[in-house]
Amino acid sequence: MNDPQPIPRKVPDYMRKKGGLWYWTGAMIMIAFFYEAITGLILFLYYQPSNAYVSTEGVLNIAYGSVILTTHLYGAYIMIALVYIHLLRNLFVGAYKKPREMQWLTGIVLLVLTVAVAYFGYSLTGDVLSSDATDVARGIAGGFPVIGTYLREIFMGNGQSISLFTRFEGWHIILAGLIGITFALHFFMAEYNTIMPDPKKTNYRAPLIDKEDSSYKPWYPYNLLYMTQIALFTIALILLIPSILALLPHVPALFSPFPQVSATSPLASQVPPYPPWFLLFVYKELDFGISSTVGPFWATVIFTGLPLIYLLLLPYIDRSSTLKTTKRPIVVATGIIGIIYLIGLSTWGATMPGIPVNNVVGLLFFVIPLVLVIALVYMISGRLESGKVKIQNAWKVYALIPFAGFIAILAGISIYAAVKQGTIYYTIATIFLLVILGISITALYASIYGVKKASEQKSLSGRGYVLFGGLYGFLALAIVSVISVIPPTTIFNQSLYGVGLGLLFLLGAAFIALYRSHAYNE
Amino acid sequence: MPKDEKPIDEQRRNFLKVVGVMIIGAGIVGTLRSVVQYAIPPVSNAESSFPTLLLLLPNGNPVHTTDLVVNNPSIVTFDYPLQNEPNFLLRLGDASNNDVKIDSTTVDIPATGGKYQSPAGVGPYGSVVSSSAICQHLGCIPPELRFHPPSSTNFPGKVHCDCHGSTYDPYKGFSVVTGPTKSPLPGLVLSYDSTKDTYSATMLVGPTIYGHTTDLSGGNPVSSSGATITTLGV
Repeated sequence: MNDPQPIPRKVPDYMRKKGGLWYWTGAMIMIAFFYEAITGLILFLYYQPSNAYVSTEGVLNIAYGSVILTTHLYGAYIMIALVYIHLLRNLFVGAYKKPREMQWLTGIVLLVLTVAVAYFGYSLTGDVLSSDATDVARGIAGGFPVIGTYLREIFMGNGQSISLFTRFEGWHIILAGLIGITFALHFFMAEYNTIMPDPKKTNYRAPLIDKEDSSYKPWYPYNLLYMTQIALFTIALILLIPSILALLPHVPALFSPFPQVSATSPLASQVPPYPPWFLLFVYKELDFGISSTVGPFWATVIFTGLPLIYLLLLPYIDRSSTLKTTKRPIVVATGIIGIIYLIGLSTWGATMPGIPVNNVVGLLFFVIPLVLVIALVYMISGRLESGKVKIQNAWKVYALIPFAGFIAILAGISIYAAVKQGTIYYTIATIFLLVILGISITALYASIYGVKKASEQKSLSGRGYVLFGGLYGFLALAIVSVISVIPPTTIFNQSLYGVGLGLLFLLGAAFIALYRSHAYNE
Repeated sequence: MPKDEKPIDEQRRNFLKVVGVMIIGAGIVGTLRSVVQYAIPPVSNAESSFPTLLLLLPNGNPVHTTDLVVNNPSIVTFDYPLQNEPNFLLRLGDASNNDVKIDSTTVDIPATGGKYQSPAGVGPYGSVVSSSAICQHLGCIPPELRFHPPSSTNFPGKVHCDCHGSTYDPYKGFSVVTGPTKSPLPGLVLSYDSTKDTYSATMLVGPTIYGHTTDLSGGNPVSSSGATITTLGV
């Protein structure tokens, strides 16, 4: 299909421009996966299946163990969130179409594997959430017709605690290995099928194949530097979010970066029987009236199996060659409805865990968005088609508003804690948070008035580069010296170290952006 | 590259390269420091301090002086303070098998240049001594490391390791006679109850037991009821 091209492929300039991150969600997933693999293997230095909960809690008290354990959890969270974003992006732009059907299928397999590996991973802790999830999964697996008992024993062992956690450990690694293999397939298919160029090139018709031309800059150093920038940025996020959360008091169980209390502790009854957020929808679906009628296994088949089958068959259902979203209203509408169901079921599960839902309410929950969204999408795509309405590219603004809001809430809590507790560490945490808030508000401002800002930044004077470069370098040295004198004796101190390390990675990413701007005018 | 781009200032670019290497270096230092420190396992002592354990025969009765043979050619050991830390129990005599009173001496540690006072022999004749039975050279244990009783005045008894030839002098606090070992065997302090004629292990002195971070870590404690001796026949 393509002339043999050297791998890795070159990419056009616009993919490295501002907002180019949108084209690299897959790369960010890969970085998160590598981070997970490395920290996960390091965590096995201390994990004992015979003593799951105590050994997991023990990691928190080993020097920097808290950073590794909490970032391993949040690395998984970020990876799952990115997998969903990556999937939805490719759904909406029509990337599943010819010639990328198989690439799409391996992607869906990767989604299932990622959620599964995350399930086994967080069950390894042996805390009360893990034990609740184990019970639910036992019920689901055991309900599989004919081979249910075997399935349950294959994944959960023979009922002994040590057998359970040894299996969890084994499957966690096996599935991670499978992700690695499937990811390699997925990646080389992507290289083979090329990037999706601007659909305008083929007048929004599949197949969309990129033809390299002389305007493409070589992979080294242009893309390598950009990849490094993305990698540093992703790792910075993975380090910063859980470390900041770890500094804050009273983080709800759903977002706490730490294991919850032991399943055998008397406090266990006070923790709502949540699964982690990415499985909340499976958890809520079991509360529906129909689920208690058909049993947990068939409920899971209906509520998660059917969407998966839809996703797997999508390239073969939607065989049209058009790539315009307005000409694929059904696919677009199902995508949006999927998001609404996922978020709706998850929030429902989080706010009303375990409260039964009768069939009428359940039906309304599914039918109302279905009707509404399909009608709206048809109406809007009709109007867009006829050119009556135009939408500017506002993805960044939409993403930054909730992020800045979230950080602002965290900063508020942290200021409260700093005033209330009066320790220096809360003050440092507050300063860190305010810096991030400032950066995100600036970014938001820049995104709204984007075009002007971009041209301004281009014309940063030579002295400006030296000034900013020097400032970044100074900040990096200052941070590395400050964090190196914090003794890793408490979880709080370790989290401060995590925040500092995250800021170092963020500075690294910012610096590479500066250097690319200076050296390559990118 | 676009034609209208201004010429690149090499000096400025090199400055930025240096700063970039510095920032990445700071990130690597920060990461490696935490990972390496994390990988070092914390020392967890199986015992908070040396326990005092009565030496017992395999049948559960306390060891009496008559149970110990002067210059015993068989190897008598017991584990103390942890299960994987064997120790010799020797009743030393001269070439004609008469008890020899062992005095406390100053023992050199050639490896560190340090010195310590070895425990004196105990028992009615002051002839019962004990030491770690793990060779300080590369960790060989009985029967490779064993006591060779004195056979004549020309050959006073020695503890010799068949693995690499290290020799220790049990009459002088298990000090080093020949290498390759650079450390004497850690001395075990025994206490003797003359009214009941029983022996107890109380603590270790000298170098740390071979292969352990501390004498009290890296294994499980022996039973709290007492340390049972085992005899390896020859």
